[in-house]
Amino acid sequence: MPVPIHAIGNAHLDPIWLWRWQEGCNEALQTFRAALDRMEETPGFVFTCSSANYYRWVEEIDSEMFAQIQKRVREGRWVPVNGWWVQPDCNMPSGESFARQALYSQLYYQEKFGRTCKVGYNVDSFGHNAMLPQLLRQGGMHAYVMMRPSNDENPHAPQNAFWWEAPDGSRVMTYRLPQGYVCDGVENVDNAVNFLRKRGEDAGHGMMLFYGVGNHGGGPTKADIAFLQEKMKKEGFTALQFSSPDAYFAAMSAAPLDLPVWKDDLQHHASGCYSAVSMVKQLNRQAEQELYFAEAWDTAAAQAFGFPAQTKALAEAWRDTAFNQFHDIFCGCSIREAYDDVRDSMGHARTIAARAANSAILRFSRKIETWVEGVDAPTKEVRHRGIPTEYPRPVVVFNALSFEREIPVRVLEASRRVEDSGHTRVPHQSIRASRFDGPDALDTLFIAKVPPMGYALYWLWMGRTPEESVCTAVQGSDWFLENEYLRAEFDAHTGGITKLIDKTAERTVTGAGQLALPTVINDITADTWAHGIFKFHDIKGTMRPVHTTALENGPCRAALQIKYKYGESTLVQTFRLAAGQKTLEVECKALWSEPYTMLKIALPIEGSDPISTYEIPNGYLKRPCNGEEEPGLSWADCTLTDTEGLRHGVAVMSDSKYSYDCPADVKGAQLRLTCLRNVIFADHCAKRPAREFDFTDEGVQRFTYAIYLHEGEAEQSDVTREAASLNSQPHVVQESYHPGTLPPTGSFLSVDAPNVLVTAYKRCEDGSGDLILRCYETQGKAFTRAAITLPQADAAFWADFTPFEIKTFRIGGEGAAAQVNFLEGIV
Amino acid sequence: MPECPIILRRSLNRFAEIYSKDTPGIPAALLSVKNESPVPYLARIPLPLPSRRSSYSCAAPGANGTVWLGAANGLTRWNGGAPCKEERIWFFSAPRDLPDNAVKAILPLEAASDGTEIVWILTETGAAKLTLRFLSGEEKANLLLRESLDVVDRRGMFSQRQLSVPYRKDMPLPYNESDNDGCFGCGFAIAEELHYATLARELGETHPETQRVRAIATRAAEAMLLLMYIPGRGDGFVARTYLTPREPVPDGGYYFRKRADGLAECLPTASAVHSGRAGVTVKASAAIPARLAKLCQAEGSAGTGIVYKGDTSSDEITLHFAHLYFLHITLGKLDAELDALAIQAGKALLRHIIDHGMELQDCFGGPTTWAKWSLRYFNGGGSGWCDAPLNAAELLMYLRVMIKISGETEPWQGVYDSLLAQGYGDLPAKHRERLCQCVMAAGLEECEDIMYGDHMLATMAFWLLLLLTPEDAVKAKLRAGFASWRSSIGREWNPGYDFPYALACPGAALDFSRLERWFYRSPASRLAAGVNVAGRHDMPKRTCRGGSAETGWLLPDDERFIAKYDRNPNDYPGERGSASCVESGYVYTFAYWIGRYYGFLRDA
Repeated sequence: MPVPIHAIGNAHLDPIWLWRWQEGCNEALQTFRAALDRMEETPGFVFTCSSANYYRWVEEIDSEMFAQIQKRVREGRWVPVNGWWVQPDCNMPSGESFARQALYSQLYYQEKFGRTCKVGYNVDSFGHNAMLPQLLRQGGMHAYVMMRPSNDENPHAPQNAFWWEAPDGSRVMTYRLPQGYVCDGVENVDNAVNFLRKRGEDAGHGMMLFYGVGNHGGGPTKADIAFLQEKMKKEGFTALQFSSPDAYFAAMSAAPLDLPVWKDDLQHHASGCYSAVSMVKQLNRQAEQELYFAEAWDTAAAQAFGFPAQTKALAEAWRDTAFNQFHDIFCGCSIREAYDDVRDSMGHARTIAARAANSAILRFSRKIETWVEGVDAPTKEVRHRGIPTEYPRPVVVFNALSFEREIPVRVLEASRRVEDSGHTRVPHQSIRASRFDGPDALDTLFIAKVPPMGYALYWLWMGRTPEESVCTAVQGSDWFLENEYLRAEFDAHTGGITKLIDKTAERTVTGAGQLALPTVINDITADTWAHGIFKFHDIKGTMRPVHTTALENGPCRAALQIKYKYGESTLVQTFRLAAGQKTLEVECKALWSEPYTMLKIALPIEGSDPISTYEIPNGYLKRPCNGEEEPGLSWADCTLTDTEGLRHGVAVMSDSKYSYDCPADVKGAQLRLTCLRNVIFADHCAKRPAREFDFTDEGVQRFTYAIYLHEGEAEQSDVTREAASLNSQPHVVQESYHPGTLPPTGSFLSVDAPNVLVTAYKRCEDGSGDLILRCYETQGKAFTRAAITLPQADAAFWADFTPFEIKTFRIGGEGAAAQVNFLEGIV
Repeated sequence: MPECPIILRRSLNRFAEIYSKDTPGIPAALLSVKNESPVPYLARIPLPLPSRRSSYSCAAPGANGTVWLGAANGLTRWNGGAPCKEERIWFFSAPRDLPDNAVKAILPLEAASDGTEIVWILTETGAAKLTLRFLSGEEKANLLLRESLDVVDRRGMFSQRQLSVPYRKDMPLPYNESDNDGCFGCGFAIAEELHYATLARELGETHPETQRVRAIATRAAEAMLLLMYIPGRGDGFVARTYLTPREPVPDGGYYFRKRADGLAECLPTASAVHSGRAGVTVKASAAIPARLAKLCQAEGSAGTGIVYKGDTSSDEITLHFAHLYFLHITLGKLDAELDALAIQAGKALLRHIIDHGMELQDCFGGPTTWAKWSLRYFNGGGSGWCDAPLNAAELLMYLRVMIKISGETEPWQGVYDSLLAQGYGDLPAKHRERLCQCVMAAGLEECEDIMYGDHMLATMAFWLLLLLTPEDAVKAKLRAGFASWRSSIGREWNPGYDFPYALACPGAALDFSRLERWFYRSPASRLAAGVNVAGRHDMPKRTCRGGSAETGWLLPDDERFIAKYDRNPNDYPGERGSASCVESGYVYTFAYWIGRYYGFLRDA
C-alpha cells in the first residue's frame, strides 16, 4: 500500500525581498491569475496560498478576480492557509503581535471566505520560537507547516511529521518540509515525488510535495501539473493526489500514528538576522509598545467618556506592523530601498498610535481637577504657562502597564520642587535639557508613582520657591553610581564597569573582565543572513574610552557618560541609576561606520553551571551557554552558581534589540547584547566585489539597554516586569488649571498576580463595544490565581493560569466575562 | 518532599438547613431585620465578588470581622482576615445553601464559644440556617463516613443514594443501583482499609476505634469481593453490580437473573432485546463463599433470584485489582480468610483475562464492550488505539498485583514478560500523543475529550505498577506514562490523584499549600444539591471548540457540583442537582486516608 503523497500546488510570495512592496503586490496579482487559469485547465488541481495581506491586495485592486477566488475557495480547490497576515519572522514579534497576526487575518478570512484557517504555515521563516504551538492554537489553528532549520543546521530537530509542544503544554501537529517549498520543472518534480515516496515509507505516514515556482510568486506550471497527472496513473503512485495541507492533516489525524514529540524551539537558520538592520528592529519594538499604550488608553477613554474607540484605525496600524514583520523584512535581509518603505509604513502605524494615545490621555487629563485657588478668577481654564510662577504647575503621568510603577519622569521644563497630589514632596532634580536655549537649559526629573493602567497628578513648583527635594540613596561621580539597590564603579582607562554590587543581596558581580565594554566583532565572512555561521566570536577589538563626564548626581538620579572610539566610529554610553530603580540603565548613541562588524556589549560573570535564559513571545526559554547567537525579545539572562553554591544572575534588557550570545568557559560566562550589525544589504553569498556598498547599520544608532541583577533563577526574578518597564515609557502631560470631575489618581485595570502581565486592553473587533483583555503568565509557575479588575466595566473576576498560559477575556456590557481566544469570540 | 508537608488546621465547614417561610422555629427577627447598606462594605473589598457589585442589596457584619452580603443571585461572606486571597470570599447559592438566590435579609447570630457561626438568611421563597462549624480533617472524614454509612450504604456498596424528599437524608429511597458499584465501591473500600491501617498504626490494633473502622472496612471489602464471585460462572467473571430480588431492574444494559437450575438468564432490558440477547443463559452455579454471601442474605440469598449486571468494563477490573492490593496489605494481614478469598478471586479473574486473549469474556461469545487489553483491540481501529496506553498499564498492574499478593511468580511473571516483549511497556507513554490525535480528528479541544473517570484508573494503574515493578528500565517508561496524564489529571488539583503521583514519581513538584486548601474546602456532606455557577459575576465562561463550556477557574469543592472521581470539575454550569441524592463520601476519605497513611498530612 503506497503512502499518500499530497501534492501541494503553491507559490511562495515574498512581498518584499529583492524588490519593493509594489512589485510584491503585482507579483501576488499575477500569481493568483495564473493559479485560477490552472484551475480552469485542470479539474482537480488544488492551489494553496497563505497570508491575508495578499488576498486583501487582490480584493482592492481586482475585485473580479477576487470573486473568482472566493468561488474556488467555496469549491475547496483554493485553500487559504496560515491565519496570519504574512509569513512573519517567528522569533522577534511579541506574543501580542502574533495575536494580531491571527486576529486581523482570521476575521478577514471569515468575512471573505466564510472560513478560518486551521493550518499555520511559515515555510520560509528562519526560526520558530518555542511558544508557537500555543500562539497557533489561540489563533484557531491546530497544525503547522514549516521547513527551517535544515538538517545540516539542526540535525536534532524532528523530521517529517511530529507533535510540537509549547512550554505551556499546547500542541500542534507539525510537518517539516524535507526538501523545499518550491519545486518546478518536470525532472525536479519527478525526483521529489520519488524521494517523498521513499521518505514516507520510512516514516510510515503520508508526505506533502510542495511544487510550484516561488519566492517571487509564480505557482505550478502547466507542465508540472500535467506531469503529476500522468504520474498519478502509474503503478506505485496511485496515492499521489492534488491536495492541500488541510487535507493532509485531516488524513494524518485519522491514521493511527505515534508521532514523536518535540518540546523546544526550532533553530537556527540565519543567526545574523536578529541584529541586521537595527532600524527595523527598533521600529517594530516601538510600534508594538506604542500601539499597546494607545489602544489601552483609547479604550479607557472611550469607556470613560462614551465616544467611539479608534478600533479600526488601530487595526490598520497593527496590520502595517504585522506586514513589516514579514520574515525578509524584519530579519533585515531585504534590499536597502525596501527599508525606506518600511520606515514610512511603520511611521504610519506609529503616527496612528501617537494620535490615539494623545487624544485619549488628554481627554483624561483635562477632566482632572487641577484648579488652584488664586491663579486667576475662577474661570474654566488657565494655561499653565500664562500664570505667575509662585503657583505649582500640574503634570499628569500616565502608565499603561498593569502594575504600579515608581519611575523617573522627565518634564521639559525646570522646577524647584515636586509634590504629589497629597502635597508630599517627591525626589526631584534638575537635569540637562536636550535643547540649548541658554546656559541654564534644564529639565525636571522626578520620581512618580503611578497606579496600574492609571494616571497620577503631580505639582511642579517654579519661580522663587526654595529648591527642595527628598533625600535618597542616590549618588554618583565620574567613577561611580549608587542607589539603594545597586552600586556601579567604573574604570576610566577602559570605560568598563569594574564592580557591580547588588546591595540587597550583598553580592559583587565579578567576571573575567569588566562589564559593559563595547566589543567590536569581525563579521566579514558572513552574508546578511549569516548562512552557516552560528557564532560571532572573532573580536577585532574593544572600543577605547576618550572622555568620561559626571552628568547627574541625585537625589533623583545619578548619571555618568563615557565616550568611546574605534576606528572611525564612536559610541556614547550614558549610565544612569535613579532612586528606587533596580536596573542600571544605559542610553547609547553610536555613530557607526565600521564595515562588516558587529557591536556587542559584554557582561562577563563568574560562576559555574551557567544557563542562559531568553525572553520569547509570552514566556522564556532556557538554552545552553554554548556561544551561539540566539534570538530573544526584550531580555536575556545568564545565571550561574557561586562558590557558596548559590544561584544568581545578570540580565540585560533593551528597548530595541533581539540578538544575544552567551559563551562560557570554566570560570564563568559572558552574556552579550548584540547592539548592531553592519553588513551589506541583501548579501546572499558573501563573495563581494570591491565596490562601495550600503551597509545595514551605518550612521547614527540610538538605543537603550539596562543591566539587572538577581538572586536565584532568572524566571523567579522581576526581569520580565523590569524589561516591560524599560520598554513602556510613561506619557507626561503638562496640564492647565481647570476644574474637573476626575480625582488626582486613577486606575482602570489591575491584576493582583505579579507574574501575570496584560498585553492588550481593547475594544472587540465586532463593534459590539465589548472589551477585550489579554494577559499571560510570565514566570512558568505551576499555578497562579489572579484577581482581575476593570472598574470601568463593572467587571472583576478570577482567572487561573498554568505556566505561560495566555488568556483572553471578553467583557460584555454588564461586566460579565467570557474566556475567548485571539479571535475574540467572533468566530 | 518535606516530612509531612500538610498540617491541617481546624477549618470552617458549611452546613445548610432549608426551610419554607412558614416553618416554625425561624427567628422572628429574621422577618423584620433591617440590614445595612452593602455600599460601605463593598468599597473595602478589593477582590472580585460572586455577584455584580450593583446587585448587592443588604449587608450584615458577622463574627470575627466577617461581613455577609446579600445579592440577587446568592450570598457572599467576606473574611478579610483569611490567610490567603482564595479563602477570603465564600459564596452560598441555591439549592445547596439557600431556598433560592434572591437574598432579602441576613441575620447573623453571635458566634458560639467553639467558633461555630450561625446565620439565618431570608430569601424570596424561604429561609436557610447556615452553620459554619470548625472541623479537623479527621472529623470531616468521619462525618462523611457516617453519612455514607447512614444514607448511601447498599450491602457494603457505596455509590450514591436517591432521597425520597429533597434535603432529607433521613428519607432515602430503599434501593439505588449504580452501574459502577464495583468501581466506586472499591474506592470507598480502599479509603477505609487505609483508614483502618492508619488507626492501627497510631492507636493500636485493639483500640475500639480501630476495631470499629476495621469492621467497616471489612464489610466494604467483602462487598467488593462478592461482586467478583456473584455471577457464579466459575470462570472469574466479575459483575459490575448486583440486585436482590427486592430491587427493581433498570431498563438499560445486560442483567442476568440467577435461576434455580444453576443458570443465569439475560433479562429483556431494552438493550438486550435490541441486540437479541434477551433470554441467553450462562452458567451461574459456582459456589459463593458463605462469608460473602451473608451480605445479601437479609434480602434473600446470593443465589436464586439475584440479578447481576454483566458487560463489566476495565474500570471495575482495575479498581478491583487495586483493591485486592490494599486489602492484602491492610486487612489481609490479620484476616487470612479474607486475604485468601481476595487472592482466589484475583487469580480467577486474571486467569480469565489471560485465557481469553487479554479480554473479559461476556457470555455472548465475545468480549465485554470496554474490558479489553488485547493487541487485537489496540490495533483493531476505533477506540482501542486511543485506549491502549492506559489499558496496557492496567493489565501490567494486574499481573504485578497478583505476583505480590499471591506470592506466586508463575504464571503471572511469564505473561508479564511476554507482554513487555510485545510492547506493553512502551505503550503507556503514548497516551497524550494518541489523545491529541483523536482530539484533532474530532475537531475538539483536548479538554473536551478527557474521560475524567480515567484519571482514577490511570492513577491506580501507574501508582501500583511503579510501586511493584522492580526493573528500573520499565519504571522509567511507566513514569513517562504517568507523566503523560499530568496535563489532564493536574486540572483537578485533587490530592487523591496527586499523592499517588508523588509516591510513584519521587521528586515531582506539588503545590502542597493548594492541596491543603482542597481539604478545607471539600464539603462535609455529599448531598448533591446544585449551586449557582452560571450566575457568578467572578466566573468567566469558556466555550470550547467543540461547543462544550467550562468554568474559567476551578471553583472550590464546596461551591461546585457534587460528583465522584469521574467528572470534569470545570464543567459549566455544572449539574444543578435537586438535593435529591447523596453521593459516597469517598471523594474526601480516599484522599484523606492516603494522605494520612503515606505521611503527606496530619491534623494539627
